[in-house]
Amino acid sequence: MKATPGNGFAPWLPDDGPAAATGLAWFDSRRAKARAQVRDQGIPTTKHEAWRYTSLTRLLEQGFTPTAEATTPLQPRDLEPLLVPGLDAYRVVLVNGRFIPGLSDLQHLPAGVRVGGLAQILKSDPDALKDRLNGVVGESQPLFAALNTAGLDDGVVVLLERGAQLERPIELIHLSVGMDEPRVAQPRHIVVLEAGAQASLIERYVSLGEALYCTNSVLELSLGRDAVLKHQRIQTESANAFHIAGLYLSLGAGSRYQCVTVGLGAAWARTDLNVRFAGEHAECDLQGLYLAGDRQLMDFHLDVDHRLPQCSSRENFKGILYGKGRAVFDGRVYVAKDAQRTDAAMSNRNLLLSEGAEVDTKPQLEINADDVKCSHGTTVGQIEPEQLFYLRSRGLSAPLARRMLCLGFAGEILDCLTPDALRDQVAEQVGSRLELAPID
Amino acid sequence: MLSVKGLKANVGDKEILKGLDLEIGRGEVHAIMGPNGSGKSTLAHVLSGREGYTVTGGSVTFEGQDLLDLEPEARAHLGLFLAFQYPVELPGVNNTYFLKAALNAIRKARGEPELDAVSFLRLMKEKLKVLHLDDSLLKRPVNFGFSGGEKKRNEIFQMAILEPKLAILDETDSGLDIDALRIVADGVNALRSPERSVILVTHYQRLLDYIQPDYVHVLAKGQIIRSGGKELALELEDKGYGWLGAEEAA
Amino acid sequence: MSASTAVEAIVESEYEHGFITEIESDTFLPGLDEGVVRAISARKGEPEFLLEYRLRAFRHWQTLATPRWAHVHYPEIDYQAISYFSAPKSQDGPKSLDEIDPALRETYNKLGIPIEEQMALSGIAVDAVFDSVSVATTFRTKLAEAGVIFCAISEAVHDYPDLIKQHLGSVVPHTDNFYAALNAAVFSDGTFVYVPKGVRCPMELSTYFRINARNTGQFERTLIVAEAGSHVSYLEGCTAPMRDENQLHAAVVELIAMDDAEIKYSTVQNWYPGDAQGRGGIYNFVTKRGDCRGARSKISWTQVETGSAITWKYPSCLLRGDDSVGEFYSVAVTKGRQQADTGTKMIHLGRNTRSTIVSKGISAGEGQQTYRGLVRIAAKAQGARNHTQCDSLLIGDRCAANTFPYIEVKNPSAQMEHEATTSKISDDQLFYCRSRGLTTEDSVSMIVNGFCKQVFNQLPMEFAVEAQKLLSISLEGAVG
Repeated sequence: MKATPGNGFAPWLPDDGPAAATGLAWFDSRRAKARAQVRDQGIPTTKHEAWRYTSLTRLLEQGFTPTAEATTPLQPRDLEPLLVPGLDAYRVVLVNGRFIPGLSDLQHLPAGVRVGGLAQILKSDPDALKDRLNGVVGESQPLFAALNTAGLDDGVVVLLERGAQLERPIELIHLSVGMDEPRVAQPRHIVVLEAGAQASLIERYVSLGEALYCTNSVLELSLGRDAVLKHQRIQTESANAFHIAGLYLSLGAGSRYQCVTVGLGAAWARTDLNVRFAGEHAECDLQGLYLAGDRQLMDFHLDVDHRLPQCSSRENFKGILYGKGRAVFDGRVYVAKDAQRTDAAMSNRNLLLSEGAEVDTKPQLEINADDVKCSHGTTVGQIEPEQLFYLRSRGLSAPLARRMLCLGFAGEILDCLTPDALRDQVAEQVGSRLELAPID
Repeated sequence: MLSVKGLKANVGDKEILKGLDLEIGRGEVHAIMGPNGSGKSTLAHVLSGREGYTVTGGSVTFEGQDLLDLEPEARAHLGLFLAFQYPVELPGVNNTYFLKAALNAIRKARGEPELDAVSFLRLMKEKLKVLHLDDSLLKRPVNFGFSGGEKKRNEIFQMAILEPKLAILDETDSGLDIDALRIVADGVNALRSPERSVILVTHYQRLLDYIQPDYVHVLAKGQIIRSGGKELALELEDKGYGWLGAEEAA
Repeated sequence: MSASTAVEAIVESEYEHGFITEIESDTFLPGLDEGVVRAISARKGEPEFLLEYRLRAFRHWQTLATPRWAHVHYPEIDYQAISYFSAPKSQDGPKSLDEIDPALRETYNKLGIPIEEQMALSGIAVDAVFDSVSVATTFRTKLAEAGVIFCAISEAVHDYPDLIKQHLGSVVPHTDNFYAALNAAVFSDGTFVYVPKGVRCPMELSTYFRINARNTGQFERTLIVAEAGSHVSYLEGCTAPMRDENQLHAAVVELIAMDDAEIKYSTVQNWYPGDAQGRGGIYNFVTKRGDCRGARSKISWTQVETGSAITWKYPSCLLRGDDSVGEFYSVAVTKGRQQADTGTKMIHLGRNTRSTIVSKGISAGEGQQTYRGLVRIAAKAQGARNHTQCDSLLIGDRCAANTFPYIEVKNPSAQMEHEATTSKISDDQLFYCRSRGLTTEDSVSMIVNGFCKQVFNQLPMEFAVEAQKLLSISLEGAVG
């Protein structure tokens, strides 16, 4: 199908002729259903609450079509400039959405831990995925999840059996390189930690050059009873990239999940974090930092569903906007009837540093139980003049003082990053972006 | 005036008071001392009717009435007053307004006429003077944004206004520096009268340097294990609770 | 007894103001078409421009669908089953209170607002609206001396057509929303206030609204214009009798403040909320908007909303003048099956504009409550400031409280802070009050009043007392 805005998102999907059938009945039927959902939903406009502040026009105008190549000429040494110096991790590399074993390093995985490509596992052991694929996303998929289901070609599967523990983090590198035409990749990741398992996952979205492309990734995560996951997401894609990420989380009883998400790159980035508590006494901690300058858009949507009692969640997002940068924060905490002793606190703070920058923020509480502790706070402001003066009176130039104060503002989130090698690299990236930012 | 006989009380499934006896006569000041976890605060709470405690045995009579059957406000109407260890903050509720409502509720229950605004204001000014307190206290919300010392002084001020027959001071000395302690103690002493009895619940002897008790009781493991005059407190100060076989509870 | 069970044990009380006055009404048959719009206009002997305005609004309304975005649920309203005009029989208009129908005056007495006493005691000019037509206006003379116009809008149409033509619909255009369009087409009556340049209105202005006749929609229209340097405080209070069918109320209020002018608009709303099963009760779909047109102007909304089955209401401020100020102070109580979706919009357009939002929501029983607010700071609104505080108090485990703020900031010198909390009356607070001798009921009332204090402080004294009383009465029947 020809890629024009008039066709909506249909061109993002591969042909659905008989050749496209995989022979896996459940898989093909889920894809067909998702394709129908994409068609039925049409194109959301700013009249749709979830897209109130974010128009899809710019995304549609690019005329993205699916990637075809399943291989890459890249060699391991090509990756070197993109790595985090001193980060010791199991490494999984995707290039344009495809798992590339030759670039990955999964040696010495302990027993009870399985990491592999989704396409490969679909062929070799489809039953392992039958209940997992769309298991957390569920039946009524939002548009981009449905698109991903209908068009998914590959991704990564991480399975930790009961009690399995990983000493080193898993680093998941999404590398995108420029292609002949604007391409969209739609990887699907499935991460499962069974009861008592513990792991750390670092997702990094990077590009080679200033390529124009789109990634529409979906990650389904389920934590079993008392499982613990630290999940870090660093997005530093090309200034021409379009980034769409949907995270769907199911947190079991007593499990603990921490997500630190940092958005620095891409022209247009939309991240949806959907958290559902599946057992009591679970804890969810979402920390976010975003910078948007030039004509960048950073859009974060959080939907935290306290459907069960005695769970706690923290949502703490901070943004720095400059140039013609725009940010959208839409956070929803829902507390179901009878979800007593819920403890939820949401905060969104923004520094607005220049003319033309904009922030639209919408922290929402929906409370249907009375014995709860719920709050949210939002601020939009600037660097405090007294603080600036204090630094300048100690001899710092105004631009340096401003940068230092911005870094101080970001520090609360940056300090959540581990190990130090990762923290240091991201702090440096934040610093150099601020150096280029016209914030005087 | 107050007669506690064989009082047993649980918090959840755990028995805290295990057959406690205590007799308090009119105008007497009793100190109840004991190690942490001995049941001191539980006693104060059970007497004032706080929820979360189950009385499983014994009796408490106050002014000839069975206290345990009464709602907390009814106990207050009878003349019982608890000075809280942790006074509760009531945002937006004006201190004066709160006290006037409380005093008039008590007066009404006793069949006395309610005080009008002018008489009440006069009463407050008078009590502030007795206690050497600042009248800025009156304009603020109840305990909201108060320092620890201010909260305790506010409790004593409330006691002065409500003029209870029996005041229970639950660890009123905790968290106070020596100056604040003296102010609070002076307040209590100023309110001593032949008509008013006081129970001082405390862990330390130092409060008793300022408020001289007529009797001292040692509470351990849910029972009064020793009673005596004020010299008992000094002995405890010297020897600790271990001397009485009342080891600090875990 | 824990806080929740104690509160829930408080007895149900019947709606105090529930009764129906027997009075002869001149009422249109139910239904709405162009003929009805023309008939309303003709009945009122309106000038041509107003008929045209109504017809434009009606034609626009026909193209609109009922808004669905609010967090409220109710059966579809059949707009053809509503009667759009109802007036007490005596058409000549009373010259003094003595001429008022005794049954009507009895109604006011039952409500506890004897007009004579009100006037004598508090010096408030009372413009009582019974159903759709203004029946009593007092203190005209005193106001006229100051140059203040305070009259029924139907009279203003005849006496001051130029002012009406200039201002009506200039803040809330008939295209604004579904209910505003409906109101513009069929508005029955309401109030007009005009305060000339430099005049400080010599008294608080007050109007009591009351809905009575069966199946009669009520569509008030209020227009207040404060010229440069003037000042006016307007109080609005409402209550309605008990009845079975749902009653629609779709008012429009427009405020205009020129340079240095100040308008304070206070509302106590206690319309019939429906019975314990949620039957009956008023549907209150109101559009209220103030236009701070002049530099240094100020518009302040204060509302205490305890009634109505459904409240859909967002008193807003357009801060167009430089250094203008907008305020919104709100207490809303929902209990039983009541639903409220209320809040405000602060649109910062001028430089150094400031706004304050304080919203206190109390939800009890199966009450559903939503704060919905918009703070928009436009690119040119240099130095704009907003502070928003939204607190919800939940009483019982079957109620709901939602907070949906929208914050849009396009100016890098803006300072915006928004805080929201949700809490319940703690067992500790309740026990503390009871141990000082207060009953559970008084304790709850005291704590709730403390929670609302910031808002009550904004009300004129006599209204603050009424509001506190209303809140206590309202919570007596709160939970079951």
